[in-house]
Amino acid sequence: MKFLIAVGSEDYSGPTLRVGMEVASAFNASVTVIKVGPKISEHSVSQVKLTQERLEEWDFDSPGVEVLEWAFGFLAENQYISPAVVEKGFPKNTLIERGKNRSEVYLQGTTGSDVSLILRNGDIISELRDEVSSGQFDVTIIGGSQKRRMAHDLIQYLDSSIFVVNQYDHTKPYKLLVAVNDSHNTSKAVKYGVRVSQAFDVNVDLVTVSRTGTFKSGYHRAVNKAERLLKRMKVPYKTHLLKGDPIDIIKKTAGNDHIIVMGTSTKNPLIKYFRGSKPLKIVKTCPCPVLIVK
Amino acid sequence: MLRNIIFWITQKRWFLLSILIGSILYFLESPEGLSIEGYRTLIIVIMAIILIIFEPIPLPGVALMMLFLQVLLGIDEPNDVAKSFMSDAVFFIMGSLMLAVSIVSQGLDSRLALGIIRLTGNKTWCIVLGFVSISAFLSSFIGEHTVTAMMMPVGLTLIYNTSKDRAITKNLAPLILFSIAYGSAMGSIGTPSGGGRNVIMMEYWQEFGLANITYLGWMRYSYPMLLLEIPLAVIILWFTFRPEQKVLDSAVRKLKIQVAKKGAMTGQDMITIIVFFLVFLGWVFLSHKIGLGIIALMGVFLYLVLGLIRWSDLNRNTNWGVILLFGAAVSIGIQMKETGAALWLANSVMDALKIISEDISVLRWVMAVLLTGTLTNLLSNSATIAVIGPIVLNMGGDPIIMGFSTAIASAFAYLTVVASPTCMIIYSSGLVKQSDYMKAGWKMFIMSIIVLFIMSKIWTIY
Repeated sequence: MKFLIAVGSEDYSGPTLRVGMEVASAFNASVTVIKVGPKISEHSVSQVKLTQERLEEWDFDSPGVEVLEWAFGFLAENQYISPAVVEKGFPKNTLIERGKNRSEVYLQGTTGSDVSLILRNGDIISELRDEVSSGQFDVTIIGGSQKRRMAHDLIQYLDSSIFVVNQYDHTKPYKLLVAVNDSHNTSKAVKYGVRVSQAFDVNVDLVTVSRTGTFKSGYHRAVNKAERLLKRMKVPYKTHLLKGDPIDIIKKTAGNDHIIVMGTSTKNPLIKYFRGSKPLKIVKTCPCPVLIVK
Repeated sequence: MLRNIIFWITQKRWFLLSILIGSILYFLESPEGLSIEGYRTLIIVIMAIILIIFEPIPLPGVALMMLFLQVLLGIDEPNDVAKSFMSDAVFFIMGSLMLAVSIVSQGLDSRLALGIIRLTGNKTWCIVLGFVSISAFLSSFIGEHTVTAMMMPVGLTLIYNTSKDRAITKNLAPLILFSIAYGSAMGSIGTPSGGGRNVIMMEYWQEFGLANITYLGWMRYSYPMLLLEIPLAVIILWFTFRPEQKVLDSAVRKLKIQVAKKGAMTGQDMITIIVFFLVFLGWVFLSHKIGLGIIALMGVFLYLVLGLIRWSDLNRNTNWGVILLFGAAVSIGIQMKETGAALWLANSVMDALKIISEDISVLRWVMAVLLTGTLTNLLSNSATIAVIGPIVLNMGGDPIIMGFSTAIASAFAYLTVVASPTCMIIYSSGLVKQSDYMKAGWKMFIMSIIVLFIMSKIWTIY
């Protein structure tokens, strides 16, 4: 599997990188850490480039390299990259330009496959979308952005599953909340949930919500299937069949000490664009990390 | 599939909106007193402004659209559009962008660093005064982004020599970087070669038969204003970003050592300076005969012949898209004049102002300056002058004062990151925030308008 972790800065992206690497390790996945720098206006792009060439002569790094350097330090400290790579130090000289506004460096990893560090510049949604589709990533991990519509656009337009690391505190014990319904994305969400619960060694709350209190046979089938998988994988779990508004119930049940895992909405993209979807509303309102599985 | 279409639509929404607005306007009747060609020229202007501000498509694409729409909408013949596209002002913009690449690539920044430090010593306020003055002085001759590109390594070295911890330099960093960016922006009004927009205004004066201003004649009007602005800008920046460090003793010492390591001035450095000096002499003494643009191109030719720059480097670092855009903007500006759109717009503005007051001499000036100042923070400053110039010159009043006021107001690009390449260059360092531009920019904007108003009164006695 391939995971993409988007980082912004040392100040805000520590939790995202930490939990991202832990989850990626659980999946034995290869990891790419990406920093997307600001979009340079076309009026100024040549002048900015020319200035950066001068700055390189004075041994200044391109903006954004310091974030990759910090990510390298984090990976080294937590032994995600091989000691031989760590010993050589941050290889900024091997940051190779690959295409317009994109530089990349490979590092030999210790878990899963190798780790790559990528620096891109431009509109964050377009750049991540391009990276996900060209790199065929399975999961994209991002921090909880304050920017309006950022989560909406990423969930709507990225081809991969999305893990939004909202307010994650690594010192706190988390449980897993897997939302189960009769949509076809649920079974993949449960499989992802099992891997995450094994990695974090935590219990699972299987939550199924009905507005009326009556659960159709599809719901029961989905819950039974999830329970069978959890039993087989020896993951401790509790099942909750609850009545009410799904978003309110999931928010209340999750509190701030769960990681929520749920399938993506199966609604028509046009309806999702204008009216949103349950996963999107949960990402916006729940003060905890949310993994939306596609 | 549907998801991809929605994504494309969201990315291109401003493009689609501009097409929609253009199409609706096309099918409406043209306003009374405005020719059909003039009306269609204004439709292109509205569409182009939306596309330049929001950049939903590449800017060279906007330039091409401005050109082919003139023919498709029946405004002018293909050959006439081509003729209006290329002029000495566009030659100047092309030449000055290439001169910038030639000069910046020589690495004169270390010499500059040494000069600044010798001049200013190690007191922070002296260094800020030095940065603003030297940036302003140099940019008045060689253009703002050239100076910013050369000053950036010096400024960043001082900041990082003070401390690599951003918390320690959280005020010093924006203070020094804005000293460079705003100093360069202010300086660009000093001479015609300070910015493409100055040359565009000179071209309009000449094209419309209003005035013939020489290089030194321009300086006579603008340099006093520049000298007045420098101390005021230093005070504004100092009190906006009060630095934690009042003396940069060790940072300056380290900078001196770094510069010393780069060695003595080479013959190549000398030739670079001599060639630029020759270009400057050409601008002063020959530009009224052979044009500023031709002289700039001769300078680039000399740099190429003397082997100071390779064509591949010039080609790679020159923003050809911007040249296309300015050419197209000048072409539209000329169409606005030719079709009567500029006169109609100017009259409409005058009529609206007369509702407020019968005596519109001050209101007219305020309107022109505010409109230019606002647009320059959203569009590029040369594109602003290309579009606004013909309107302002038709608004009545002294065309020289109105023209100078507009050209100078287009340098008030202090408020946003995208306002000018200099603002974008310091932003790309990662050491200034978007909010910093507003924090210092609004004070600079108001100060500049007040100084310009005083100067416009003084110009009446010239």
